[in-house]
This record gives sequence, C-alpha cells and structure tokens, in this order.
Amino acid sequence: MNRGSRRKPSLNIIEVEDIWKKFKIPHERKATVLETMAGALALFEGRRATFEEFWALRNITFNVAKGKSVGIIGENGSGKTTLLRLIAKVMRPDQGRIHVNGRIAPMLELGLGFHPELTVKENIVVFGAIMGLRRDKLKKQTDSIIGFAELKRFEDAPLKTLSSGMQMRLGFSVAIETDPDIFLIDEALAVGDMEFQQKCLSKFKEFKSRGKTIILVSHALDLVKEFCENTLLLSRGEMISFGETEAVVNEYVKRVRAA
Amino acid sequence: MLEYWDVIWILVKKDFKIRYRNSALGFIWSLLNPVSIMAILTLVFSLLLRSGIRNFSVFLLAALLPWRFFQIGTMQATGSIAGNPSLVKKIYLPRYLLVLTNNLASFFSFIMEFAALLPIMMILGMTLTIHAILLPLVMVIELLIVLGISLGLGALNVFYRDFYQIWEIALQLGFFLSPIFYDPNIIPERYQFYYSLNPMTRIIESTRKILFHNTMPTLQDLMIPLVFGLVLLAIGYTIFHKLEPRFAEET
Repeated sequence: MNRGSRRKPSLNIIEVEDIWKKFKIPHERKATVLETMAGALALFEGRRATFEEFWALRNITFNVAKGKSVGIIGENGSGKTTLLRLIAKVMRPDQGRIHVNGRIAPMLELGLGFHPELTVKENIVVFGAIMGLRRDKLKKQTDSIIGFAELKRFEDAPLKTLSSGMQMRLGFSVAIETDPDIFLIDEALAVGDMEFQQKCLSKFKEFKSRGKTIILVSHALDLVKEFCENTLLLSRGEMISFGETEAVVNEYVKRVRAA
Repeated sequence: MLEYWDVIWILVKKDFKIRYRNSALGFIWSLLNPVSIMAILTLVFSLLLRSGIRNFSVFLLAALLPWRFFQIGTMQATGSIAGNPSLVKKIYLPRYLLVLTNNLASFFSFIMEFAALLPIMMILGMTLTIHAILLPLVMVIELLIVLGISLGLGALNVFYRDFYQIWEIALQLGFFLSPIFYDPNIIPERYQFYYSLNPMTRIIESTRKILFHNTMPTLQDLMIPLVFGLVLLAIGYTIFHKLEPRFAEET
C-alpha cells in the first residue's frame, strides 16, 4: 500500500492537508443518455447546463495525533459526512491530500448497508472479510460478533427481516470485532436502544484507553466532549475552528445562539 | 491483488448465493434455460426449417453455453457497481473487485453448466475427444473478453443506467450475429470481415470445433479472441479507472 514517496515516520494517525471537495447538484432528476445528448445540443444553442457545482469542503487542514480522538460538529450540510467519506477513502478529494496511518473501520452510519438477502451470518463473513478479518479466524469471531449484537436467534435469518436497530447493532459489532486503529462514527449511535448504546460507549472507552482513534460526527455535544480531545467545527464546507473540544463546542453554541 | 484473495473468494461465493436465493430450483434453472432454448431451436431448425446440420442439438449446445456465459456475465456485471451502493459508499475496497468477482461467479456457473450438460450432450451423440484439453483455455480467453466489457459497462452504468438497456439490445442482436444456430460459412465472403469483428465468433467456433467437429481450434481461432480480450480489457480498465473516483457520488 506504499504510494512511492517515502514519508518520514509521523506521530499523526491522520493528516488532512488542504482538502477541497466539489459536488454537482443536478437541477433535475438524473438525466438519461438521450437527455444528455439533447442537453449537449441545447448547450450549443447557448443554454446553460442542468447542474451547478458547489464546494462541499474548502481548504480543510488538520492532523490527528496517534491515540487522540476528534469530534466533527457543524450544522446539517456543513460537510461533516463528506469529510468522513474522504478519510475513509470512499470518495476522493478534488484537491489536497489525506494520509491515514492505520486500518479504518468502515463508515458507521444509520443502517450500515449489508446485503438484505443474505443471512446475518453470511453478512458477517462478507463484511468481515472486506474489513480484513482472516478467513481462518472468522468462524470463531462470527460467534462473538453475534453475541455482542445479541442476535443469536436471528443468525440464520435474512438480514432484511431484522429491524433497523438490529442491523445497526450488527454493523457496530462487526466493526468492533475487526479491532481497527480508527473508528469513523457518523451519528449511528442514535438508533440503538439505551442498553446497547451503553455497551458501545464502554467498548469505545476501552478502545480509547488502548490508544485507538475515534472520529466522531455527532450533534450530541456531550458525547463529543466525553470522547474527543479535539474538535473540528465546520460551517458551509469551511473550517471555522479546530482545537480543544471545550472551546470549539462553546464557539459552536455561541454561533448557533447568535444566528 | 493477492492480499484480497480471501475477499475475492468470499465475494464470489456471495454473488453465487444471491443469484439462486429465493428460488426453489436454484442452479437447476441454469440448466433448464439452455436446454429449453436448445429444444425450441432444434425443433424450429431441424424439423421445420430443415437446416440439414446433423445432430443439431449438440451443434447448438456447444455454442449456447459459451454464449450464455458471455450474455449473463456481462449483463450481471453491468449492474455490479450501481447495484452495490453499500460496498461502494461505506467501505473502501478496490471497486474493480466487484466486477471481477461478479464475472467469476458467472464463470463458475458456466463451468458447472458445462459439467452438468456434458452427459446430456454425450447421450445426444457427442463424442468427447482429446481436443477437449483446449476447452479450459478457450473458456479463460472468453473470461478476459467478458471482464473487459464488464469493466467498461459496469463503470458507465453508474452514471447512465441506460447502458444496461443498450447492452441488452446489443446482446439480442449479438445472438443472431454470432454463429450459434447456424454455421458461419453461410455468411457471404464480402461480409466475412465484418462478421469476424464479433469477438464471440471465434470463441463459439473454437468450442464447436472441440465438441462437435472433433478438431483442434487453429492458432488463429485462439489468438484472435485473445487479442480481442486484451484490447477490451485495456479499454474497459481505462474507462473504469477514469470514472472510479466519482462512483461513491453517483451510486
């Protein structure tokens, strides 16, 4: 996975350097080939394109030191999830670079997308393998994943028959079992019941104490305060501030009140 | 790619399972389909139209099986990126693996169909000769062609779902433009060149030589589709590589 250039060993687990990310917003529903051809003809006649571009993220730079966790806060549409996706390498920035020195658990967000037709067990095998669990160990780990998710009764049921809370539990359990260096969490805890939330939180505390990194996107500010040393405040794709959580959260609250 | 070996294997198995999930007969459909097409075409061409080809059902099956792999392999893989948003949007995984594993699942299905229908073809009068050792080679060359087309179509289909429909029509035409239910010698000389531009022509002909005519495919029979396969793979991969960065935004 070495990308050629030799980098000096770094104490940062994530380095985000001057990231820019652009999206296109179509003005209508998605065009078909025919419409695009018609659109291209229309363009020749001087009509404007049917989408506009906007910058979802502009000039974002920050580092996460090994063993530290970072919260990302900001209003809806401020670019939080996009930033997580870029860190997860699921999307690519238009400009800038991101270095990640560790194994990342996938995006944990609502209804973590498993395959609905496969059974709970089969889903665990597929996603476990993608996330780097070794095939020979997977068998044993499957049991502990099902155990943590409390889905023993459903292990051979197709995933589509599970409630969304159960699916989320399964997603968390797989992610936890893969023991990644970095957790990307996007509001996902909101779905689980209190008991499971507590279970996850104590698991995350354990991870933190073992020097792992959590990147937490959340509107639950007390959760951010509890887990993250540093916090990044985004607004309309721009970095408003990055620093100690207490100060940044206060700034966010002040901004919201002022608005 | 070796580091993904486990993932490839598990994704192929997943694809395979999903294909036959929720159907009572499962894999048997893969056999019923070509056999019923064979029955109908045999009825039409040897009884009604009297094509004059001896042992028409074997003549046909030897072509139908590689054609089915071409058809199903490319069709299924065309939707393999767009139809897998959870694997594209939430987890980082080299996306070509989705196309590759989809193709491999079709390929295994193809091999199993072959294995299951061989006895039927022998009952129908086919003799299996030493030439059959070249069969795996022909199949692998076909896999290259299928993979090349699948990479291109799979990527394009993320942006325009029309490609799925376009390809479906192209395949219907391809069925008639490939030597499946007729001998390619009936094509007039002056059209032969254009006819040979179909990468499946030589694949089908090679398979038929091995199973029906009991002769060796010529070097040309193998080299031409191999070159087709490599060129298609290069084109397909280039398209894929170019479009891949925007997959997560479009699925």
